[in-house]
Amino acid sequence: MTAPAVVFDEVSKFYGEVLGVNRVTLNIPPGITSLVGPNGSGKTTLMNLMTGLIHPDHGSIRMRGISPRDPENLMRITGYATQYDAAPRWATGFSFITTGLLLFGCGRAEAEEKAWKALERLGLTDAAHRKVAAYSKGMRQRVRLAQAIAHEPELLVLDEPLNGLDPLVRAETIALFRSWAAQGRHVILSSHVLQEVDVISDQVVLIANGMIVAEGEIRNVRDEIHEHPSQFIVRCSDASNLAASLFSEDHITEIKVNDDRLSLLVMTRDRERFARALGRFAGDGHRIDSVIPADENVDALYEYLIGGDK
Amino acid sequence: MNNRLRLRQAVTIARLELRRAFFSKRAFWVYGLALFPAVIFFGHGLEVKIRRDRLSARGLSSPALIDSAQKGETVEAVMQRLGKAANDYQWESRRRVRAVKSESGTTIHAIEPAAEARFVRLNITRPTYSGDPTARIYEFEVYGPDSPTNLALHRPATGSVPCSDDQGPDKAFNGSVSGGSSDRWCTHEWDRFLQVDLGTPVMVRRFIVKHASAGGESEESDTRDFNIQVSKDGKIFATVVTVTGAGYVDERTARRTLTYFDGRREARLQFTDGKMVSRDNRELLNFEEDRQVFAGVFQFFYLRLAIFFGCLGIFMNLFRGEMLDRTLHYWFLAPARRDVLLAGKYGAGLVASGVIFAGAALLCFAMMLWPQDPAAVQLYLQNGGVAHAFWYAVAALLGCVGYGSVFLAAGLLLRNPIIPAAVLLAWESINGFLPEILQKMSVLYYLQSLCPVPPPSDKSAPALLQLLLSPAAPASHLGAILGLLVVTALVLWIARIAIRRMQVSYGSDV
Repeated sequence: MTAPAVVFDEVSKFYGEVLGVNRVTLNIPPGITSLVGPNGSGKTTLMNLMTGLIHPDHGSIRMRGISPRDPENLMRITGYATQYDAAPRWATGFSFITTGLLLFGCGRAEAEEKAWKALERLGLTDAAHRKVAAYSKGMRQRVRLAQAIAHEPELLVLDEPLNGLDPLVRAETIALFRSWAAQGRHVILSSHVLQEVDVISDQVVLIANGMIVAEGEIRNVRDEIHEHPSQFIVRCSDASNLAASLFSEDHITEIKVNDDRLSLLVMTRDRERFARALGRFAGDGHRIDSVIPADENVDALYEYLIGGDK
Repeated sequence: MNNRLRLRQAVTIARLELRRAFFSKRAFWVYGLALFPAVIFFGHGLEVKIRRDRLSARGLSSPALIDSAQKGETVEAVMQRLGKAANDYQWESRRRVRAVKSESGTTIHAIEPAAEARFVRLNITRPTYSGDPTARIYEFEVYGPDSPTNLALHRPATGSVPCSDDQGPDKAFNGSVSGGSSDRWCTHEWDRFLQVDLGTPVMVRRFIVKHASAGGESEESDTRDFNIQVSKDGKIFATVVTVTGAGYVDERTARRTLTYFDGRREARLQFTDGKMVSRDNRELLNFEEDRQVFAGVFQFFYLRLAIFFGCLGIFMNLFRGEMLDRTLHYWFLAPARRDVLLAGKYGAGLVASGVIFAGAALLCFAMMLWPQDPAAVQLYLQNGGVAHAFWYAVAALLGCVGYGSVFLAAGLLLRNPIIPAAVLLAWESINGFLPEILQKMSVLYYLQSLCPVPPPSDKSAPALLQLLLSPAAPASHLGAILGLLVVTALVLWIARIAIRRMQVSYGSDV
């Protein structure tokens, strides 16, 4: 029997004329999956699409077989800790979580018991009866996490969940995610802290400029990245001649010469061999002024993930 | 998921949202709007009660005796017959009037004994009563002791720089005042003087000055303070006449108002210089009139203004307020259908607005009844008064149902509440002009049909206004309720579509 998955099929979302995500196709199995990408790459958009806070302009989404347009069923199995920092003005940590549980059909006693358990897990029992508005940033982060996990969801979506947590709570929270993932649940989180991604994730989804760059188990992603072409802009005195020389290299996949004949865009599958080749051509008399990566953010990401394996 | 759980969810949402609906800081002004008429009625009732107690404490008069007071009677005669008044107020009014009435704007100044003079000079120190600095003299005449001849007529004259070339000093000695502004001497230059050369030293005894009103201008422009000087040589002048406040006096009028009270009516008898000039009888409280006033307040203030804008404040805030607070996503992440959320929030808004406005209308109704004669109130309540109160409350409640649905939908569809409010207000206002079928598409049409008492109509009001105030062919109560519910259902159906399509976007979260 196939395990229930989170499936995106050719999903696109635009905010007016601004791209959110473009033609995203994903199949995320249970376990811990990290969405990794630079700021503005579309991670939060993907999570909001998963939970029905926004709707796709194109394509379809199934969350363990349920459409995000069906919150009545989807949110029964889903917990989402957003990055939105606000909480209702009236809410204490305890009432905030209890109130949410009442909408699940829990009785008052059951809701209070579950709320207390969730607050205990996140170390918030001392502050349970204080107004959320008076919490520190880290405590507000924890209370949102507590609310997301209070009903024991099968699908946990967490936007930067470890931000602002102290090391002890962070370790406990990661352990909690691991135990849930081990039970066949989905834990989908986004993070900027790449070391964490590396440590806790079963799967990684690399996203840049609203598009999926790589997806899969972390080891496979590294291999994939090795094969994924890198882009460089090379400024030189004679772009046409340099392009002709570069074409003889088998790792070069594409070259575009600029109209001014003074620069070219090169795509290569092997940046080390590309660097060696450029050094060789420079020795042969080609004047090379500069070599600049075309996408520094994605490049840094690749650098980390590739470097981490070594 | 069964409907029972959905209902429980809606009730839970409504209960939680009551806090926002009742106590939102953004809509706190709603209470002021709702309670304003009740406060006015309370103030009116309190004033009547205090006045009644005060007048009664000084003794009641017989209604027949009060009615017997006639115009022209003296104060003494009235007081002898009616006794001491409950209130006696005396004052004196003063009015400035011209002392000289013989010829408007003309002053005559005789000197004794006669003086010998070749040059006669008029110096103006305060040119007008109005404060205007421009002096205006239409004619300045000089007479000898025995002669009726104006010695200054057509004689050479000098004076301060005139206002214009055709208003020179010679115009004050040309024997005419009827030629308008070009027939006067006018100046606003310091020092304001007018001088005539009689040719040779002669005896003079009388001067006549014709001021602005003699030439047809306002009396306020007449010369106020001036003096007349004479000289034999044009160098040494002697003042022979000094005038201050040129002929004006205060006219004093003694006024008195006696107030008598017969327990119900208050009669104010006005006296001028000791004679009765008018009698003003008025009921301290007029139950019938107050009921009409309440009907007007309910229709024109509550239905058209307070409930309309109150629902705007309460219902628009239910979704828009959460967007501003960035908390709407908590609801969207709950395991509840969006329709259930809509129903819960609408229910909360309805409870809050219903309690506030139906409660305020009933409170206002009670404040209207409070100072009235208890027997009359009892009679009224037994003969339809309770039903009136009921229908007022129903109309207020249905107003909240109708306008609430509209503004809830507007809060989902639009960011700016001003636009839907203005459009709806315009639609409701022009309702009276529309064909009957279109009238039925407005909330106000049904609400007016439910009002138990028609508002007072002013026959002198413009036809346009009368059309606005009186809807054609009101619906029956059942028809009005059903019609309003159909309109509401239609609007809520649109709101349901809107909330299903709604997306949470507080900013640029990519």
